[in-house]
Amino acid sequence: MLDSMSFFALASKRLDWLAARQKVISENVANANTPDFLAKEVAGFDSVLAGTQSGMTTTNARHIATGSGGHGGPRVMTDAAAWERSIDGNTVVLEQQTVKAAEVSESYRLAAQLYRKGHDLLTLSVTGQR
Amino acid sequence: MDPLSSISAIAASGMRAQGERLKVVSENVANADSTGNTPGADAYRRKTLAFEELVDREMGASMVKVEEIGRDKSPFALVHDPAHPAADAKGMVKMPNVNPILEMSNMREASRSYEANMNMFEAGRDMRTQMLDLLR
Repeated sequence: MLDSMSFFALASKRLDWLAARQKVISENVANANTPDFLAKEVAGFDSVLAGTQSGMTTTNARHIATGSGGHGGPRVMTDAAAWERSIDGNTVVLEQQTVKAAEVSESYRLAAQLYRKGHDLLTLSVTGQR
Repeated sequence: MDPLSSISAIAASGMRAQGERLKVVSENVANADSTGNTPGADAYRRKTLAFEELVDREMGASMVKVEEIGRDKSPFALVHDPAHPAADAKGMVKMPNVNPILEMSNMREASRSYEANMNMFEAGRDMRTQMLDLLR
């Protein structure tokens, strides 16, 4: 039983990570024509699982909150795998970002479906009917 | 703000900036033949526009804004037309420094970027719908 609960925790971590990733991609797309803007990328899901997701956690009220209200999402860094750098110093390639966005959308769908399946399983075991 | 909600705000800022760019392009194209009307007067100077990253600390999102709309300082083309009201003593008229091909490529890029932002908006909305579907 507890195992299935950790399944839900894992699925929501995955959903959170994918949402953060999609946000970073949309930032890149919005800044696709901003001079000297470097494309960004979220640290891999393995770093979320390892629990080393955000470099800075606010443990004191006087700490400066990092963006999303202190608890901090996954670590965001400059995308080292950007395909090219244009003449104005911008490293956002729209094609690359589109591919990533599609990938993230599909993974999000998958994670949401898995979450739902887990829920169905739980309902089945409790009530004996679907 | 959670990432899914900020996606729409970020994409909207991108669309707004690209829309502004398209506006500047259309102003340039519309004024491609606007000369002065007194002898030796300057013609229309092409407008330029620069983007800048705008970090919204409250939302923790980096958006985009139009930094400034400037003027292209490149020289005017001179055309010999003594009958023109803006002709100087030698009969030369200053024509705007608008290059139609440059404006056209600028327009294409602006509308493609606008579409890319629109797609991100829809991707974000799609993800939000799936999240809400879990509640059903």
